[in-house]
Amino acid sequence: MRALLTPKRTADDQFEIAVETTAMAQTLARTLRNSDLTEDVVAGLNSVCIRFHPRHAAEIENRLKRDLKVSSAPAEPSKIIDIAIHYGGENGPDLEQICQALSMSADAFVALHTGREHTVEMIGFTPGFSYISGLPHEIKVPRLDQPRSRVAAGSVGISADFTGLYALAGPGGWPLIGRTEDPLFDAESDDPFRLKPGQRVKFKAA
Amino acid sequence: MLRVISPGLQTTLQGSPRIGTRQFGIPYSGPADAVSMALANRLVENPLNATCLEITYGGFAATIEDDCMLAIAGAIDRISVSGRAVAAHETLHLRRGDELEMSPPVHGARAYLAIRSGFEAQTEFGSTSTYLPAGFGGHQGRALQVADILRPCGKAQSDAILQTPQSLRPTFTGSFALRACASAETDLLHPQSLNALFNETFIAGRQGTRMGVSLTGHTLSLDSHGLMKSAPVFPGTIQCPSSGIPIVLLCDAQTTGGYPRIAVIARCDRHLLGQIRPGASIRLLARSIEDAAQDHANKQSLLDAWLGTSDQTGVGCLY
Repeated sequence: MRALLTPKRTADDQFEIAVETTAMAQTLARTLRNSDLTEDVVAGLNSVCIRFHPRHAAEIENRLKRDLKVSSAPAEPSKIIDIAIHYGGENGPDLEQICQALSMSADAFVALHTGREHTVEMIGFTPGFSYISGLPHEIKVPRLDQPRSRVAAGSVGISADFTGLYALAGPGGWPLIGRTEDPLFDAESDDPFRLKPGQRVKFKAA
Repeated sequence: MLRVISPGLQTTLQGSPRIGTRQFGIPYSGPADAVSMALANRLVENPLNATCLEITYGGFAATIEDDCMLAIAGAIDRISVSGRAVAAHETLHLRRGDELEMSPPVHGARAYLAIRSGFEAQTEFGSTSTYLPAGFGGHQGRALQVADILRPCGKAQSDAILQTPQSLRPTFTGSFALRACASAETDLLHPQSLNALFNETFIAGRQGTRMGVSLTGHTLSLDSHGLMKSAPVFPGTIQCPSSGIPIVLLCDAQTTGGYPRIAVIARCDRHLLGQIRPGASIRLLARSIEDAAQDHANKQSLLDAWLGTSDQTGVGCLY
């Protein structure tokens, strides 16, 4: 599939381009990173943002409108990684409330969450934070109204269609269902992030 | 070499931002007020993004262990060397045994202390800047503590005494007027809230960090239930969670976010975000994209004459 793109100016030094899928966002971001005029290119779940010096705005817009088309890349198959989660309690302080809102037992929730394969769609937010698709529609919940100023490293949250893994401690707006002790981030390593876009994962109750 | 006597509330080493790593979720970091850091570095003839101390709310004191050239810019009240007052915005030639002390500023939040040749610091992901939430960069990835030793990268070759031109010395007050533009999800704001955002005075919230400053005093309403798909955000982005209390993002801001992006601080005024302290009053001045770009060009040409920023990346590319 190839589609013409419409850049939207979202700041004096930014353009954003909406795309249909997360895979298309990743592919488009990779293409745009080859440009000498951009300062930074960041993919969202269904958008790509380009940051640049304002003096290059006209030139970048011309190039985007003239040259740019995006194709959806086929997903690369990967080995499944198991992630062990301690569900509920102190590790997942919002699980009880989520289950109440969904009129569901914690066991039923865990069975749904561990019962299928999930896929890492995007890394963002904070270092190594993974947006993981595959959340069953029965356990869809909104973000917290007011984000927490600190969540523990390894925390697992859910929001809308995604499971999110907080590789590091930091602020967070996702309701928390549990925590994993599996290492997700190693600043000392040359390849510090265990999960990458396209990686398939399965959750297990620890 | 400096030995820390008092680190103040929070002092970290900051250098260039981590440009190009947001795709891995790694924020820019670097100075919260890039212009003040550039001004400090200029006075000791460093590259504008050489590693400096970022001192939050003053209260910093250190013993000088070797003769060195220093300079301080940003939010400053009184600076003294072994009890005698010295000037900000001027190269200081300090001697072994001197004691440097900085009192808390009345207005503004952060001061930058540059040393000739820059401070030694740990480089992570291409930059020496400290990112506290993940504990990397700078001095062991943490804020400075009593008795920490700070070393310059090299020896001072020049003893030129420079002064920042008077016209470029910022003065901070308890209120900030920041130029801002509409952004990706501004349309979600209800008309009254859109009007409030650009016409009312907001108060900086109690949690002022390097990640963000909340704008309190006027709760905004918008057509959203916090279910937006996560999209890229940058320092300067103004997000609005469903609580209706907007948050302006700063240098350590997360790389993506799911809250509507209701506005963005124009690039020319983003360096001022680093000087906002809790309780400060903030007004957003509505600008078109074209006007904001022109404002940026004007400010940059003023700074260029002294800093020579136009051809530099790093700090230069933050404003």
